Amino acid sequence: MSVTRLLAISGFVLAALAMLAVEIAARRPNSRVPRLGEVTGVVMRYEAAGLPVGRLAVLGFWFWLGWHFLAR
Amino acid sequence: MEHDRQVPRPPELTAVDRPSPSFPAVLLFLPLSLLGGFFPAFSLSANLYVLVLGATLLIAGLSSRLPRRQGASELPPGVVWWLLPVGLLIVVEAITYALGSTHDYPTLSLLADPLLDDYLMRSLGYFGWLTVFWGLVRR
Repeated sequence: MSVTRLLAISGFVLAALAMLAVEIAARRPNSRVPRLGEVTGVVMRYEAAGLPVGRLAVLGFWFWLGWHFLAR
Repeated sequence: MEHDRQVPRPPELTAVDRPSPSFPAVLLFLPLSLLGGFFPAFSLSANLYVLVLGATLLIAGLSSRLPRRQGASELPPGVVWWLLPVGLLIVVEAITYALGSTHDYPTLSLLADPLLDDYLMRSLGYFGWLTVFWGLVRR
């Protein structure tokens, strides 16, 4: 395995572990760190000119992610 | 992150009303996922299957007929901690993508491709995608 490949995989694993650590921290009592679901919820409620821009962006991103990993 | 523990959580983050459990929808995802696992990547059937499922959930998510969870209207300052993992993920993905997404510089999807060739992993992928999608629709 090349060094660059190992670095890339390590980067992804580190990002996943960091995500898990922040979510665990957010679930502790009285934590000021919001859960990922709460962050997503606030983003989804963002509207511009009466249009649900945040909702469309999050749902559209998840739609694209499924297509990218499972279909293309 | 230690100092954050002592600060009380804003009331808007604790008063989250949960909708009634949606067991039938999640149970429906099980056969849909098992079926999806049969469609190989890059095939027309997989494309059509994902597009139909995704479009259905997207339309459901944009309609106002389904009940939604009530959540916070603003986030506490600790939200900046999310920039660390998300930023790292974006940086690594952007670098590997810019360098061609090759064996030596793999993007996340390139690394996932061999795993998703397996039927069980592919079905699990469908199940995770549909379940999270449903969770987003209800938010």
